[in-house]
Amino acid sequence: MSTSRRLTAGAFAGAVALVASACNTTATAEGADWQPTKAIEMIAPANTGGGWDTLARTSARVLEEADLIDRPMRVVNKPGAGGAIGWAYIANNAADPHKLFVTSPPILLVPLSGESDHDHTDFTPIARLATDAMVYMVAENSPFTSFEQVIDALLDDPTSLSVAGGSAPGSMDHVALAGAAHAAGVDAAQLNYVAFDGGGEATTALLGGHVDLAVSGVAETTGLIDGGKVRVLAVSSPEPRETLPDVPTLQQLGIDFTFDIWRGVMGPSGLTPEQVAYYEGMYAEMVETSQWQASVEQFGWVDDYLGSADFGAFLDEKREEFADILSQVGLR
Amino acid sequence: METLDHVLYGFGVALQPENLLFVLIGVLVGTIIGILPGLGPMSAIALMIPIAFGMDPTPAIIMLAGVYYGAIFGGSTSSILLNAPGVAGTVATSFDGYPMARNGEAGKALAIAAISSFVGGTIGIVGLMLIAPGLSGIAVSFGPAEYFALMVLGLTAVVTLAGKNVTKGLIAAVFGVIVALVGIDGQTATLRFTFGLSELYEGIEFLIVALGLFALAEVFVMIARRGAGSEFRRVTSLRLSRKEVTAIAPPTLRGSVLGFFVGVLPGAGATVASFLSYSMEKRIARDGDTFGKGNIKGVAAPESANNAACVGSFVPLLTLGVPGSGTTAILLGALLVLNVQPGPLMLSDRPEVFWGVVASMYIGTLVLLLLNLPLIPLFAKVLKTPRAMLIPLVVVFCVVGVYGLSFSTFDLWLLLGFGVIGFAMRANGFPAAPMILGLILGGLMERSLRQALQISGGDWTVFATKPIPAALLALAVLSLLPAVLATVRRRRGKDVVELVEQRRG
Repeated sequence: MSTSRRLTAGAFAGAVALVASACNTTATAEGADWQPTKAIEMIAPANTGGGWDTLARTSARVLEEADLIDRPMRVVNKPGAGGAIGWAYIANNAADPHKLFVTSPPILLVPLSGESDHDHTDFTPIARLATDAMVYMVAENSPFTSFEQVIDALLDDPTSLSVAGGSAPGSMDHVALAGAAHAAGVDAAQLNYVAFDGGGEATTALLGGHVDLAVSGVAETTGLIDGGKVRVLAVSSPEPRETLPDVPTLQQLGIDFTFDIWRGVMGPSGLTPEQVAYYEGMYAEMVETSQWQASVEQFGWVDDYLGSADFGAFLDEKREEFADILSQVGLR
Repeated sequence: METLDHVLYGFGVALQPENLLFVLIGVLVGTIIGILPGLGPMSAIALMIPIAFGMDPTPAIIMLAGVYYGAIFGGSTSSILLNAPGVAGTVATSFDGYPMARNGEAGKALAIAAISSFVGGTIGIVGLMLIAPGLSGIAVSFGPAEYFALMVLGLTAVVTLAGKNVTKGLIAAVFGVIVALVGIDGQTATLRFTFGLSELYEGIEFLIVALGLFALAEVFVMIARRGAGSEFRRVTSLRLSRKEVTAIAPPTLRGSVLGFFVGVLPGAGATVASFLSYSMEKRIARDGDTFGKGNIKGVAAPESANNAACVGSFVPLLTLGVPGSGTTAILLGALLVLNVQPGPLMLSDRPEVFWGVVASMYIGTLVLLLLNLPLIPLFAKVLKTPRAMLIPLVVVFCVVGVYGLSFSTFDLWLLLGFGVIGFAMRANGFPAAPMILGLILGGLMERSLRQALQISGGDWTVFATKPIPAALLALAVLSLLPAVLATVRRRRGKDVVELVEQRRG
């Protein structure tokens, strides 16, 4: 499966490079008429150790190990305001081709909640690299054995179950829950969503029986799932996860909703097509390397490459979808 | 017996030359960074992560764990000598450690800190070895309602920490709670007290407040006095008399056990543990009124608790894969990158990592004691530095430490602001300790309260019907009774006097 994915990604990257060079009369056949001239700053808009930091450091390491980049790539942490501090930094460096940043759904959700001066349209999409899914889970001793039972209970009374998530209302965990509930016909604004400080605290509350259900990223909870402490009732990805073969997707359960924790790279606004093509080509090659594949497997991600233009379109589409969900729950 | 086998196996792993080397490197780096004011375990681990990523999992985690507890171990030094806490968990240590240093007992304070840290760490490790698998049950037994009750109990200590003027203590505590509320509210995603400044969205870092309120305010006081009356007395011996050892033994042991269990709770951690231990000892000690003026028990209690809590925080991290603090969250990230999945299966899947790390902690703690004790006379010499040089040095350390948190100049203005506030508070007799307590416990209390009510659908009876919250809240009420009764008695006494005077008049 991963080979075919890789082939698709490769063919796709080639096509994008062609399009890029075709669109640009000054571009040479190789599309390599721009090269970085100094060290590249890769901004992780969060502290060390988090998801963004891991993506930034892993991709920088793979790029250097696989010799895909001539200049050093330095990971710089710009934590604060859920990413807004790092985004402001990039926005203040418009057209600087030596500054990139790692990104994921908060680039859409944080501006939608009005907590950032900049949104995704202020930046240049470079590439989407990988994705991860959300899981809906209960404790091992919970009376619920299927997601349908949970939905039935919520249809009866949306306030009857307390659901823990690791982030504030309007952020990823809440949107993944509200979107699924809304698609199943539940009044998402009525849900009893309890926000905890991080996925760890949310799962602890689930294990201790303090809440009925929890929503969390797959990677964060792998240990507990393997240890049999929690029962995963559904997964938010479009296709079943290799590591969770028995867990149905929402779509398999007849709930028309998917939620991906996609991860990608963006740059400042005002980059030239040559600069975008350079980075895009670089990441297209990176996702094919064995080092990247090993990291993807290790973190429980799924390869999901998209080039600059498609990533941009994808972001616009997701923004609309998230805006809809947030209006459903009354946060917009 | 099975446990003994595991422990011996763990020491077999930890004593391998490579692992031994990385324990040494870890605790050395950790304790040095911990000693530097402002730089705590978070910066220490962040610094070591790029190195650890190239290593085998076991030595890498042994090293990172060493950095963590080494930083907590060393963190007391600058709290005691300069009133500049290097680590959030050692703020409470400065309450009595710094007055001791000013009384010329810096060596003794450092020795007590080192010994009680060692005892706390050791008791924590024994607890971790013997009952770690069963402890994950305790870690999850605390939900929002339980945390709320624990924080209320902790906050009642304001009354004891306030000193002479309870009203001023309460005002300071409320101010601390307000500072804790700055930022995006986790329950509703509403901005509170941010004044449109995006730098305040994630709240105010605890260490900025602590360094401003203690270290910088102290610098301002020194400057205001122009050196007069701020000289330290001569540094006396660091030897403890038998009487002193007997005096600190019970607080150290209680602090260790309390600290370990608080550390096991993912929502609490070393800072909360040190404050709970300090206020508990202040309350039960016969000489409780000398706490804050250089009481040796006031150093032993928080130091044993924060080190035990640091070890305890490995229980949820390793057995559940749940980080209890910012530092353990970074450690969890490092474990995942190193391809070690912490969780219920770790004990059976990766026993060499689990038992190796636990055994290495024992070795590391011992190394820390042997490393720190001989250095105490050297550290104490810092106090002989002329004021004119010490003041800029403290300011530089504070600035570097705060800037290192998130590389933001905004934080430096905050530091200055809290320095000025701290100075103004001291000049007007407002105690800083209750404010710090309000800051640490207040945010968590508010969050837990609202989570608990969110879960119960607004039903307040959850705090009375669940056994743990009910017991903790009852304890909180009981602990306030003596103070309330004393006030009532005083009032009544005054009334009688007034009545008598009126009649005479």
